[in-house]
Amino acid sequence: MSSREEILNRLRGNVRETYDFPDLGFRKLEFADPVAQYVETTVTTAGARVFEIKPTDDLNEKIREAYPDAKIIASNVPGIKADKNPDTVERAQDLEDVDVGVIKGEVACAENGCVWIPQTMKEKAVCFASETLVILVSKQNIVSNMHEAYERIKFNDYGFGTFISGPSKTADIEQSLVYGAQAARGVTIFLTE
Amino acid sequence: MSTKHSIAAEKFNQDSGRVTRHDQTFWSVRSKRDGLAYQLEEWEQLRESANLIKKHTITHLADYLEQFETNARKNGVHVHWAKDADEYNDIVMQIMREHNVKKVVKSKSMLTEECHLNDNLIRHGIDVVETDLGERILQLMEIPPSHIVMPAIHVTREEVAACFREKGIIEKHGAHAAEGLLKEGEDWRTSSDPTYLTRAARYHLRDNFMEADCGMTGGNFGIAETGDIVVCTNEGNADMSTSIPKLHIVSIGLEKIIPNYKAMGVFQRLLARHGTGQATTVYTSHFRKPRPGAEMHIILVDNGRSSILGNIEHWQTLKCMRCGACMNTCPVYRRSGGYSYTYFIPGPIGVNLGMLKDKDANYHNCSACSLCMSCDNVCPVKVDLSTQIYKWRQELDSMGHADPMKKMMSAGMQTLFEHPSLYTTALKFAPLANHVPAFMTNIKANAWCYGHTMPEFAKESFHTLWKKGKVK
Amino acid sequence: MKIGLFVPCYVDALYPEVGVAAYKLLCSLGLDVEYPEKQTCCGQPMGNAGFQNKAEKLVENYDELFRGYDYVVAPSASCASYVRFFHEGIVKHECEAAKRTMDLVEFLHDVVKPTSLKARFPHKVSLHNSCHGVRELGLSSPSERNVPRFNKIKDLLQLVEGITVMEPERPDECCGFGGMFSVEEPAVSTRMGKDKLRRHIATGAEYITGPDSSCLMHLQGIARKNGEPIKFIHVAQILAAGL
Ligand code: SF4
Repeated sequence: MSSREEILNRLRGNVRETYDFPDLGFRKLEFADPVAQYVETTVTTAGARVFEIKPTDDLNEKIREAYPDAKIIASNVPGIKADKNPDTVERAQDLEDVDVGVIKGEVACAENGCVWIPQTMKEKAVCFASETLVILVSKQNIVSNMHEAYERIKFNDYGFGTFISGPSKTADIEQSLVYGAQAARGVTIFLTE
Repeated sequence: MSTKHSIAAEKFNQDSGRVTRHDQTFWSVRSKRDGLAYQLEEWEQLRESANLIKKHTITHLADYLEQFETNARKNGVHVHWAKDADEYNDIVMQIMREHNVKKVVKSKSMLTEECHLNDNLIRHGIDVVETDLGERILQLMEIPPSHIVMPAIHVTREEVAACFREKGIIEKHGAHAAEGLLKEGEDWRTSSDPTYLTRAARYHLRDNFMEADCGMTGGNFGIAETGDIVVCTNEGNADMSTSIPKLHIVSIGLEKIIPNYKAMGVFQRLLARHGTGQATTVYTSHFRKPRPGAEMHIILVDNGRSSILGNIEHWQTLKCMRCGACMNTCPVYRRSGGYSYTYFIPGPIGVNLGMLKDKDANYHNCSACSLCMSCDNVCPVKVDLSTQIYKWRQELDSMGHADPMKKMMSAGMQTLFEHPSLYTTALKFAPLANHVPAFMTNIKANAWCYGHTMPEFAKESFHTLWKKGKVK
Repeated sequence: MKIGLFVPCYVDALYPEVGVAAYKLLCSLGLDVEYPEKQTCCGQPMGNAGFQNKAEKLVENYDELFRGYDYVVAPSASCASYVRFFHEGIVKHECEAAKRTMDLVEFLHDVVKPTSLKARFPHKVSLHNSCHGVRELGLSSPSERNVPRFNKIKDLLQLVEGITVMEPERPDECCGFGGMFSVEEPAVSTRMGKDKLRRHIATGAEYITGPDSSCLMHLQGIARKNGEPIKFIHVAQILAAGL
């Protein structure tokens, strides 16, 4: 018998009483103004910045404004002037020296600042290895809680997606909070209409 | 006969300042958790839902595992089954050999700890680098974790700095890491500033991410309906580990499978709030398919779990999602430290998991509980932790591990309490002796007097007063 | 209403005044109270030590002795709780007496529901919320949970004239007694007790009070060893003050 059969048989043999999946219809956290709450959560607990972007704003200028010292910008978002494109770099390693990665978030959650970022590029390293991130989020796509977020998120053929709530952080040394552990050291949310 | 836990705990308590720091560190996490709990109206409903979802999943686990496997395969992921630690290690080695792996970057996984993966990799000449900062510190210092979520919190910044110096990390990355960070006059060669040390580690680990040919992660959840593996971190190290190398190996215990996204919503909201007192981890990553041009393997590990399901008293330990909250709240853990326990997972859940793993080695931890039941009320999935510890204690005698002193005292009490007349006589003489009452005759006076004065016996017990008609 | 008074072994031997206070208090509220003399212990010391099987006979005796009462009332939260939640599991059958056993505070608050008391106690006390009172009997809302805040002990104490009731920081953290735990893990138990004591003292209270003499005995032993002058008193004694 293979280990697979052995394990499955033992599991089936060891069940005495079964339980039903519960009803999750209880009332869940809702914000009157999820957009305002999202901004509040993001700038306070999540440790990111939020820039409100008007339709008339030039995104490339705003990126400069957010990170004036950036030398290498990487993005595959149409219209973004980038020095590197995560779709066309040869290897993930080529994104190691990126100062700003510009990526798109599809759903954002007010209760905890999470933004859903599906992989839309060949090398997702741009989402993690970049020194800092600019994440584009539309106000239309902000929900109150994670239950709603999970109802909304979608996968594409890349088969990867991540919720990111802010800069990478750690408190592993004597519990002191430090931003910029292994991934992005800073995150700026561009909140679009 | 003192348990190993009590002996180690006494040593730990010789440094009172250390106990204070340890206690405060974890109490502050518990307090942050409470703060979030009070803010969320549906808190108790979330906990109860999590409890029921886990009960449901665990009692339908074979079906969900098959569903998970089918979906993962459809996604182009290789799925392996390991019945125990040996088979698990063999599978890992086989995958690594096929890919000619020389260096692995690894994100934190208690399962790999349980299976002693690192030792095995090293034995086979593979360079393994832990990428969670805490785990990396421990790996460099060659010491085990003292907590499952904050594994190196007991190490001081000075110790970290000394270790980084010794391992050449400061020499290689210190100057770069110090740029714009250290105060005027502060020397990067000797600094133990946590921000600076974290940055030095960042550069050190960056080199490793770039060079590795394999990334290994654990999995906080596996979603049956979609085949997703979900990994939650704050540092982003699991994502770094899997974004660069072309091979991703996931190691996951069977019990981490959950049915669907509805369940995921519940657990995502509970995990970080309980574990670290944050509303979310920074990253909640869903791995469904391998990266373009890469390979992804999932190893489903049993290693005793399917047998635990058959254990009437203890099957609910399978609900555990390793959030660490029961350790943070445990007044005994906070005052005895992770190393006082004989099992690598400390605290209430560790006492139970240790017993399930190896009773003879781990019965020593059963004394580490005052039965205060705080853990039961903290746990996001309502594992009946203290009830289980109480039940283990009932079994110790038949295992031959009962403390003879406790046994003798209990037998003495039995005789006394079963015979009211004997009990009354004993009570009468107690105040005369006025140091140890008959029914406590065998109490180790030393143990009680360690921290207490002896209680004084009343001149007349309630019984006597009643008999004499003095109770009015 | 016929009440059986259960005065657990250590209260009997060490703190008879607590039993006396409970008796007086119950009588003063017009209840018919009896004290069956053949009572001994609830069995908890053996159970927590891992020998609940040695308590089987005792449990049967308890059931027999107290079965005929409408309520069994004990001035000791953890004993009442042990009887109610463990006795049936030990003898593996239903126990009438166990079902109707209540802690004194619980009984007064939930059954008798007095709106005033004759007691006067012009002192500042720090309330010790003992674990089994909080997390088994529900005498107060556990700090771990998001449930409406309440405290039955405090509610009752507020009926006493002149009293000021304080609660320590970490109001329901364990004091470290735990029965045999205190002799098996003396270092941790003592440390927990010291921490608890310090937080009680920090409230500025003259007395530490609680529904459980076992916790108070532990804290008192530590206080005396360390020369702390703070006084200890059981809730029953305050509620019966002046009777
Ligand atoms: S038993 Fe509960 S509280 Fe403890 S680690 Fe597991 S899930 Fe967390």
